[in-house]
Amino acid sequence: MSKIKKRAGLLLAATTAFSLVLSACGSNGNNEPEAAGSGSGSGNAGKPVELIWYTIGTPQKDVDTVMAEVSKYTKEKINATIKMKMIDWGDYSQKMQVLVASGEPMDILFTSAGGFDYVQNVRKGAFLELDELLDKYGQGIKNTIDPGFLSGSKVDGHNYGIPANKELPQLEVWRFNQNLVDKYKLDTSGVRTLESLEPLLKTIKEKEPEVTPFAMDKTYVPYVPYDYLVTNMPMAVKLDGSDMKVVNILETSEMKAALETMHKYYKAGYVAPEAATTGSTSDLTTSGKWLLDRAQTQPLAENLWSASYGYPVTTKPASDAIITNTSVQGSIMAISANSEHPEKAMEFLNLLNTDPVLRNMVDSGTEGTHYEKIDDKHMKNLDASQNYNMPSYSLGNNMLLYLNEGDPDDKWDQFKKFNAEGKPSPILGFNFDSTKVATEMTAVQNVKEQFWASLMTGTVDPATFLPKAIDEFKKAGLDKVIAEAQSQLDAWAAANK
Amino acid sequence: MAGSFFRSFNRNKVLLLMVLPGALWFLCFSYLPLVGTVAAFKEYRFSRQGFWYSLIHSKNVGWDNFKFLFNTDAAYTITRNTLLYNIAFIFLGLVFSVALAILLSELVNKKLAKLYQTSMFLPYFLSWVIVGYFAFSFLSMDRGLLNHILGYFGVDSMQWYSDPTYWPYILIFVYLWKSIGYSSVVYLASILGIDKSLYEAAMIDGASKLQQVRNITLPLLKPIIIIMTLLAVGKIFYADFGLFYQVPRDSGTLYSVTNVIDTYVYRGLKTTGEIGMSTAAGLYQSIVGFVLVMISNYVVRKLDKDSALF
Repeated sequence: MSKIKKRAGLLLAATTAFSLVLSACGSNGNNEPEAAGSGSGSGNAGKPVELIWYTIGTPQKDVDTVMAEVSKYTKEKINATIKMKMIDWGDYSQKMQVLVASGEPMDILFTSAGGFDYVQNVRKGAFLELDELLDKYGQGIKNTIDPGFLSGSKVDGHNYGIPANKELPQLEVWRFNQNLVDKYKLDTSGVRTLESLEPLLKTIKEKEPEVTPFAMDKTYVPYVPYDYLVTNMPMAVKLDGSDMKVVNILETSEMKAALETMHKYYKAGYVAPEAATTGSTSDLTTSGKWLLDRAQTQPLAENLWSASYGYPVTTKPASDAIITNTSVQGSIMAISANSEHPEKAMEFLNLLNTDPVLRNMVDSGTEGTHYEKIDDKHMKNLDASQNYNMPSYSLGNNMLLYLNEGDPDDKWDQFKKFNAEGKPSPILGFNFDSTKVATEMTAVQNVKEQFWASLMTGTVDPATFLPKAIDEFKKAGLDKVIAEAQSQLDAWAAANK
Repeated sequence: MAGSFFRSFNRNKVLLLMVLPGALWFLCFSYLPLVGTVAAFKEYRFSRQGFWYSLIHSKNVGWDNFKFLFNTDAAYTITRNTLLYNIAFIFLGLVFSVALAILLSELVNKKLAKLYQTSMFLPYFLSWVIVGYFAFSFLSMDRGLLNHILGYFGVDSMQWYSDPTYWPYILIFVYLWKSIGYSSVVYLASILGIDKSLYEAAMIDGASKLQQVRNITLPLLKPIIIIMTLLAVGKIFYADFGLFYQVPRDSGTLYSVTNVIDTYVYRGLKTTGEIGMSTAAGLYQSIVGFVLVMISNYVVRKLDKDSALF
């Protein structure tokens, strides 16, 4: 008895001590590329190819039935069928990381600056380089999509994905709960900077103590006119392009002033006390107990927000409309490096971005079941659309979509105008390669997590915490990261003169 | 030689069959993945030939992947936090769960004993996310119960989530609340297995309850206490991620007392997704854990040969 106990104990101890993060699951070895044999994209002869498509969003009940409809259509057009797999918002980056690393079969996948990072995964070899395929099968894409998207999503001079045609620049706005603005006759006309908000916040704080005047969650960062090299990391370059110098954003005078203002607002009670650990402000927007917050906009966004909250929301710009890497890489569909049918995948992407029938089917489901047409441009969601409620931005060319009830006829023209007016960031097209400083990046990331939210939301006093944070960043090796980024940026600037 | 092997195999085949599922489980999920350890020394890059091909053909980088664990001041903080918290958990967990087990075993009303046991057991099944919100309902700045109570006594509201002072106690309390109900079951089971005649004899000799506990229960619990503690020591470099990430709501100002190896690795790698570095961290934790088990088992064997694991 005691011997068995001891053996079992030994086994247990040895294995617990040794068990590792990695699991042996997943396919191995022999995914020989058979792309060349699969019809090379021409003609519709032979067995149809099944394309596996991973995309972001809450999995919908009717995905399989809609994809069966889609497949009927695509089989006829390009002899391919579609299998769509959805992964929920919060899980997407991590699950894709594992799926791609373990070689799970897939052909098309969603990537962006925010979810399953585009540039980093290009560098790790997750996506197929598309230059040739784009020339061969992607003429339609080249003709329809704003050229700013295709050039802005190049990494080291090559295309690795097809960006969705939508709003191109990034425009920050202050959003106002118009009910409260009307009730207290607040004057929003002079609003633009962070400082200009103070009288409004003060009024509401005094008259409506139950309302959170300045709504924000822990990801809030005051707007400063800099473009960040990596989203949510402190390395940034000034937007006016005057010096092309990479700096620590915390050491800029603009950010310093903004943080002081934020702390003043926090102390005055304009910001929720738990803002630095708050994951979402949806309770405020649902209850209407907020005065203002900051958001990124697109043409006609006020209508969308007002409709979804059930009360009027108005906006005032908080920045210029700037075309940045982040805005260009907001939604990209890439072809997986291990795709067995890259040509077919490209043909499909081309069709998706040019064919309104296919694009609307993917977006809104089956006509008559999920939506119905009102006239030739407008549509209306039916009750069953709850079972197929897809995020439009992640599924290809938005400008082919039918308009919603109440959208003006020239909606997509407004988008085109908005896109044409955007100013390019001085570092648009430059993608920092952090491979050489990966160790430092990991440490910097940790320091950032430690100080960021409490500084940005004004929870802590910048007079003591800002120097501390800057010092910790230095110790973590931020200077080395910045030096590396600067030398890459200089080389890039010289090559792109 | 071969003959004796088959003889013993034949004799024990039922027992061996019972071991088989567990052995297979360990083989699949603990031994086979050991091959993946090489990823700790690679700059992992995807290739279209699948996982194993990518693993073998990625660039060798030697010990580079381990550097991020040791490069900064944070290395000291996270190692200290991980070790100290785990030592506190092992020690306090042991004291409280053994005490609880003895108390439960001494209860005369067995129905009530079951009720207590079940209610202590319940928190073990709650996910850390839910426990985190429980804690939040106490500690929230504007709506928390604790700040309301403080308010009655005229004390100013505390910013619990931005003041690290009390967090070591909060974390230890939450951990014990969640885990002792479960761990006491193991001890309770072995107490119930103790021969009742020992207690009867002691009572006839006039031993008090306390003397019975000290001279009968505790000595007979010793082997199981040692096994449980040795197993816990093996995991001393693994922190309970949920406890240290969810309960403090990932609040940056608390990192000096809440950042442990697992959360550090997670925060550093959730954006970069470098598989090599996360494997390196896992390997480092495993090896330190392995060494610690060996050392403590060696010490136990020196002191008392029969109590050692192996």
